[in-house]
Amino acid sequence: MDAKQDMKNDDARPFLGFGLGLRTEHYQHVIEHKPEVDWFEIISENYMVPGGKPLANLDKIRADYPMVMHGVSMSIGSTDPLNKNYLNDLKTLINRVEPYWYSDHLCWTHAHNTNSHDLLPLPYNEDTINHLAARISQVQDFIGRPMLVENLSSYVTYNESVMSEWEFLNEIAKRSGCYILLDINNIFVSAHNHQFKPKDYIDGIDNERVMQFHLAGHSYQGDMIIDTHDHDVCDPVWDLYAYALQRFGAVSTMIERDDNIPDFSELRQELAIAEDVATKTLSTEQLHVAGQPVLKGVA
Amino acid sequence: MSSLQELQHGFIDYLLGQPSDISQHIQSTPGLPAEKRLNIYAYAYKARLKEAIGTDYEQLHSYLGDEQFDQLLERFIEKYPSEETNLRYYSINMPTLLRNEEPFNNLPILAEIAEIEAAFANSFDAADSTILTINDLASLPETAWETLSFELHPSLQLLSYNFNSFAVWKALSDEETPPETVQYNSPETWLMWRDSQLITRYRPVLNEEASALAFARQGQSFPAICEALLDYFSEDEVPVKAITFLQTWMQEGLVSKLHY
Repeated sequence: MDAKQDMKNDDARPFLGFGLGLRTEHYQHVIEHKPEVDWFEIISENYMVPGGKPLANLDKIRADYPMVMHGVSMSIGSTDPLNKNYLNDLKTLINRVEPYWYSDHLCWTHAHNTNSHDLLPLPYNEDTINHLAARISQVQDFIGRPMLVENLSSYVTYNESVMSEWEFLNEIAKRSGCYILLDINNIFVSAHNHQFKPKDYIDGIDNERVMQFHLAGHSYQGDMIIDTHDHDVCDPVWDLYAYALQRFGAVSTMIERDDNIPDFSELRQELAIAEDVATKTLSTEQLHVAGQPVLKGVA
Repeated sequence: MSSLQELQHGFIDYLLGQPSDISQHIQSTPGLPAEKRLNIYAYAYKARLKEAIGTDYEQLHSYLGDEQFDQLLERFIEKYPSEETNLRYYSINMPTLLRNEEPFNNLPILAEIAEIEAAFANSFDAADSTILTINDLASLPETAWETLSFELHPSLQLLSYNFNSFAVWKALSDEETPPETVQYNSPETWLMWRDSQLITRYRPVLNEEASALAFARQGQSFPAICEALLDYFSEDEVPVKAITFLQTWMQEGLVSKLHY
């Protein structure tokens, strides 16, 4: 499948099936056992290094699996100039990996000569939309392909925000031509932290811009939920995932785990739950990848 | 300054513990005032940097213990707000801080242990390059030796220590009690590089070989390296010594290219 071509066609969303985030703890298992997973998502920055084992392992695994790239440092919402060195390195990695697509977050990470190494939220208003749409367009022109932008978990709302996050995200996608990586867990977390209904978010997002789903676990900290990626996906998030599948149809889905990382087989079992939810929610015809049934079951 | 820029500068100031008016821009809710919400980010900023440094300097952590290592992390994070895009490179100034600041420089071995750990990280993801074998040397035409120079593998590092830091680092990494600190009369040099299997290797080198390697890395020719070795060996000994060094380097996979 030519992802670049397909991404120009809003009517035919490429469906890659069910993937996992590739983590160093699982390199050996994946290389030796080639487990049944439709695709892997890599954290781009982990491979934006000169050479050595990270890139060698990446090349080995890429030879056996489709990949998508997910970044955390583009700082697309910053008022700093775009980081040309970062974009050059990202483009080099994209040329090496040939991913179906690349993504980053609806946030800023760097400003005031400091990198927060965190996904910091933005005020949701017209000025910020203009700012982001222009910068995303610049990135897409430079890379030569549209990008995906992911909604984040957040803990603050600015007084300067005048619209919902989903309206903000839709508008940016519409104006810049980018696609949306919808993180179902982040919707759940932010809905709790900011007291909105998670289904309103899913109902409000433009169907034709959604290209990928993220699933993950979180932690309660007092009255807030923190997006820790250190637990299994919880039942309310599975329910929300099923709701999102009903609304959007088949969307490439993966589970992110970044801390307290279990054995690969355990994570693969969790991915089987996503497959099971999709089987119960969607028709068999919807769950095909390149003409082949996507559900392989647990190896 | 745009209002978005003002917000972002204020947010960063808050994360760094600097005076900031950002909380005036954040909505408070009955259970959670703006400051409490912002503190989630302030806590995460420091925790994330501490975790990154802890991963980079595991043996330094073992040597210092939790309490003193945490004091070091607090000082490092205060002194060096991150300007790196990639967290991988955030802690590269650790040896510099340990060498230059009290009380850490009262124990000079700390900077050397940190340098060893930084060197391993640098070797791990240094640029890839071809690795020649002894056969590449054997097939050289005789005339090549007059101008022969070398390109060494990008992962190769020559590390110089005034203390028995490598022995201390090795014991710590083997989870053994480290030996007493010993200061050398003159610095000891260690060679570190990544082999063809992407494993990082290391060994001590005597001054004469360290000198020859340094010359080779500068792109000096084989005859120039031989001349430098006259500081250590007689004219009769030099050719054999130089060839022996070179054969060892080829066998160990230190040489990426030959130029002649």
